[in-house]
Amino acid sequence: MSNEKSSEHYNDKRLGFFIYLIVESVMFATLFATYFVFTSEQSTPSPTDVFEAKSVIISSFVLVLSSATLLISEKGLSNKSPRLIVLGLVITFLLGLGFVGIEIREFFTYINEGYTLTTNVFLSSFYVLVGLHAAHVLFGTIWMILLFYQLMANIPFSLYVEKQRIFHYYWHFVDLIWVCIVIFVYKPYLF
Amino acid sequence: MIFDFWGSHVTVPSDIISAWILTIILAPIVLFWISKKKKWPLVREYMITTNHRKIGTMYILFGVLFFIRGGIDALLIRTQLAVPENDFWVFQNDKYNELFSTHGTVMIFFVAMPLLIGLMNVVVPLQIGARDLAFPYLNAVSFWMFLAGALVFNLSFFMNSAPNAGWTAYAPLSTDTYTPSAGNDYYIFGIQISGLGTIFTAINMIVTIFRHRAPGMKLTIMPLFSWSTLITSFLILVAFPVLSIALFLLMFDRMFGTGFFHGGVGSPIYWQHLFWIFGHPEVYIIALPAFGIFSEVISTFSRKRIFGYPAMVLSLALIGFMGFMVWSHHMFTVGLGPLANTFFAITTMLIAVPTGIKIFNWLFTMKGGVISFTTPMLFALGFIPTFVMGGVTGVMLSAAPADFQFHDTYFVVAHLHYVIIGATILGVFAGIYYWYPKMTGKQLNEKLGKWHFWIFIIGFHMTFLPMHFAGLQGMPRRVYTYQLGEGLFEFNLISTIGAFLMGSSMLFLALNLYKTHKHSPNVGNDPWDGRTLEWTVSSPSPEQPFKKMPYVSELDAYWYAKLENEDLSEANDTRPAPVSIKTIQPVILSGLLFAMSISFIYQWVWLMIITGLAVLSIFPIRSLTSRNEYVEKRVKHE
Repeated sequence: MSNEKSSEHYNDKRLGFFIYLIVESVMFATLFATYFVFTSEQSTPSPTDVFEAKSVIISSFVLVLSSATLLISEKGLSNKSPRLIVLGLVITFLLGLGFVGIEIREFFTYINEGYTLTTNVFLSSFYVLVGLHAAHVLFGTIWMILLFYQLMANIPFSLYVEKQRIFHYYWHFVDLIWVCIVIFVYKPYLF
Repeated sequence: MIFDFWGSHVTVPSDIISAWILTIILAPIVLFWISKKKKWPLVREYMITTNHRKIGTMYILFGVLFFIRGGIDALLIRTQLAVPENDFWVFQNDKYNELFSTHGTVMIFFVAMPLLIGLMNVVVPLQIGARDLAFPYLNAVSFWMFLAGALVFNLSFFMNSAPNAGWTAYAPLSTDTYTPSAGNDYYIFGIQISGLGTIFTAINMIVTIFRHRAPGMKLTIMPLFSWSTLITSFLILVAFPVLSIALFLLMFDRMFGTGFFHGGVGSPIYWQHLFWIFGHPEVYIIALPAFGIFSEVISTFSRKRIFGYPAMVLSLALIGFMGFMVWSHHMFTVGLGPLANTFFAITTMLIAVPTGIKIFNWLFTMKGGVISFTTPMLFALGFIPTFVMGGVTGVMLSAAPADFQFHDTYFVVAHLHYVIIGATILGVFAGIYYWYPKMTGKQLNEKLGKWHFWIFIIGFHMTFLPMHFAGLQGMPRRVYTYQLGEGLFEFNLISTIGAFLMGSSMLFLALNLYKTHKHSPNVGNDPWDGRTLEWTVSSPSPEQPFKKMPYVSELDAYWYAKLENEDLSEANDTRPAPVSIKTIQPVILSGLLFAMSISFIYQWVWLMIITGLAVLSIFPIRSLTSRNEYVEKRVKHE
């Protein structure tokens, strides 16, 4: 009975969380639209002046890799192997933190070059979109700290699995948004 | 009035001083009354509850409270406009701008939304045989976020900086260049927070309806109010996030120096697009649940199954879907070009088709039925001609060339009040009278209810019918006065008298509430001889309804079981249900969000950081504390 109860409850939560991700998608879609409306080659400075390929490539590599390393953890969840779970989480956590670091560095570089939030509307929409995404990654890393804590604390393993699975959906979603950012925000002006 | 305040002169208008004085007098009286009646335990119980009926009741209670506020705004507007070149109290120029801005915003976000969400909360779980919403805790969070947003918004008036850019907050007027005072910051944060609460409600409703229906109740036999809730929730999912981002960008413009919506660098038209991509679906978000209420009420009081059930569901879905393709009809005069205007004119005209189907189906439901003219039924009957009139002016407005004449005149004001009051407010009244027994266990007095209905509907038409003619005469919206020779005086005077009549009808509702709770006995499960599952549980609904879970095999199953003199058959496998818990966390979250909004509005950086971190800390706190409650429940279950 308890298993059935927990799985019904989990399915509710999962459906609710998927719907929440739809809400997030609409929010990001609106920000992408804002970026399209306000960005063109004619703006000064233009995206080509501002963006630097190196930072985008490194950060993309780091974040995509973090989605892959989370699969180690996923395997740990199915095999009930705490070792794999921790291994996957730790690597993903470090990569997530690394991504946030690269983003902050990128923003600082731009600002030092004089490309700030208020320089023009293209930069405003860029910072708001990419900044909100970076905030999501940061939120995810804090979420992982909470998961570590809960794994160490003695909670029922089946419940822990549910909590971490929900986190996986979040992390892959945030990764997907980053792919969209690379395709729609950087790629037309970099590659 | 001018005050010396730490050496600087501060001018405070006398309406705000009166409001402060009134509050300072009333607040101790209310607190004293609660203490005297020993109601503090009750207040506490509601603050920590996660039960859907109690939360729904609170939504309705505060919806009514803000209805009074928005209604007073309306009466002040009508008094200022009663005679030409009027100079009523302080409500000219910018004070008048504040008046109509708060009236519109309060009525849409803090009256229509909570009243409908309140009814959904009370009714939907009972109607589909769920023991509560899927996420009771999230439901409490939604309510308290709504309240935090509403309080932030209403505080602006007391701080002498009410929003003054209209409920649509059109840019560039709403940017800091033209409205530098804190007013529109209050608008941004008030709506942002309550809007997020609404999104969570939508998620909750969808999961509840998809996964918590009684055994046997397929979507194809689900009652229409639940259907309208489901479709409304989908509209909220798409519309409200767009509003969130629009407000987010406007916040950047006002507080962090960006120029998204400024003329020149940015695009004021982009604000209009974003706002109406939210705003037009919002009209359907507040109309569709009302349609659902009317379907229930008309079917019950005609003693007949709803006519054309599949067509009713389909037209709800069609209206919802097409609601996203009409937003630019608010922007015909912007200059989007003939192609865009034609497209949006045609989609707007098309949306009248599913709406018309619904109207005919309600009429056919009544045809041949045994109609009883109860108060809820009267409101439903009043809705049909009223809404048809609003629909006809809607089709008139959808013709883009004609709209160039109608745009921003009182014709539009008349139209929007015919559809919004005609659907939402009449629907909410019908719903409150109809489901009052499920909320409180008592049935409202029918005689006073009928007085309420007749005075309201007469006052309503008296107020808004003349506005069509004032509009055709060219009277513009949002202007605080007019001249004698313009042929507007008679129309405006009649409107003002009608508005006070409509306002006075609310006194009958107040008297009704008082008398009902003073004298009436509690009623049984099924005072109206209803058709759906909510009438099988006791009134008021218990915290754990459906101890025996019914098996539902057809639409209006309860009605047909009653006809056969049988009980509904009992289902033997029921899914585990959420249990309502007691928690103070949503209230704390609400308080923190309130403080965070204030710190942003006044740019108190230290408070921003503290409250921001505190809001974030609610996530781990909830995650860590919910575990215990879950384990306890599971142990209890075994």
